[in-house]
Amino acid sequence: MKVQVFAGLKEYFEPTFELEKDVQSIDGLKRQLIRLRPSSAALLESCRFAVNDDFVDVDYELNEGDTIVILPPSSGG
Amino acid sequence: MFISEQPLDIVGLLASAHHPKAGALVLFSGEVRNHNLGREVDYLEYEAYIPMASKLIRQILDAANAKWPLNIAIAQHRIGKVAVGESAVVVITASPHRREAYEANRYIIDRIKHEVPIWKCEFFSDGSKKWGGNCNCHEVTGDVNKHIYDV
Repeated sequence: MKVQVFAGLKEYFEPTFELEKDVQSIDGLKRQLIRLRPSSAALLESCRFAVNDDFVDVDYELNEGDTIVILPPSSGG
Repeated sequence: MFISEQPLDIVGLLASAHHPKAGALVLFSGEVRNHNLGREVDYLEYEAYIPMASKLIRQILDAANAKWPLNIAIAQHRIGKVAVGESAVVVITASPHRREAYEANRYIIDRIKHEVPIWKCEFFSDGSKKWGGNCNCHEVTGDVNKHIYDV
């Protein structure tokens, strides 16, 4: 599974990376990333997640080959 | 095209937005100001997740067209480095009467600012930078998908 992050999240993670361990859900992914970079927790908790370009809930179950994007709160305009 | 790496062509967009059935046209330009929260800003850099940003702006324009009788609804957001005084986002709405054009224009820009995956990074004149966080609605609503638009 490929993960892509944006904006402030790039201060904690590479812009794109492959998941090394198996995670079952978006919630599992979030918990693994927080374990990896504890200081990213507050930002990660405010993010939206999308799989294959559709928004998903935290209980979404991930499949092999999914591309996950993690979207911090918008600040356009 | 909803996301542009080039400077937004406000005059060209305006010229393309005149419509024989429209008696009112509203153009909003979100511009880069030289200060924010008491600090001097040199310039901004915008980043977008283009596939979803484009899809969402399309959906927001469709929703505005469904809510109001619009003749024209256009939105473009710039990405990359944007200088002070330049336009970062343009929204144009046109309708038979002004009320609908004003209301729809505000609806579109509010939803773009809160929902579309576009982010600004402020570069300050003291050399520091900060990723912006316009949308902190979840701190009040408890849900990253619930927004408060009148703030």
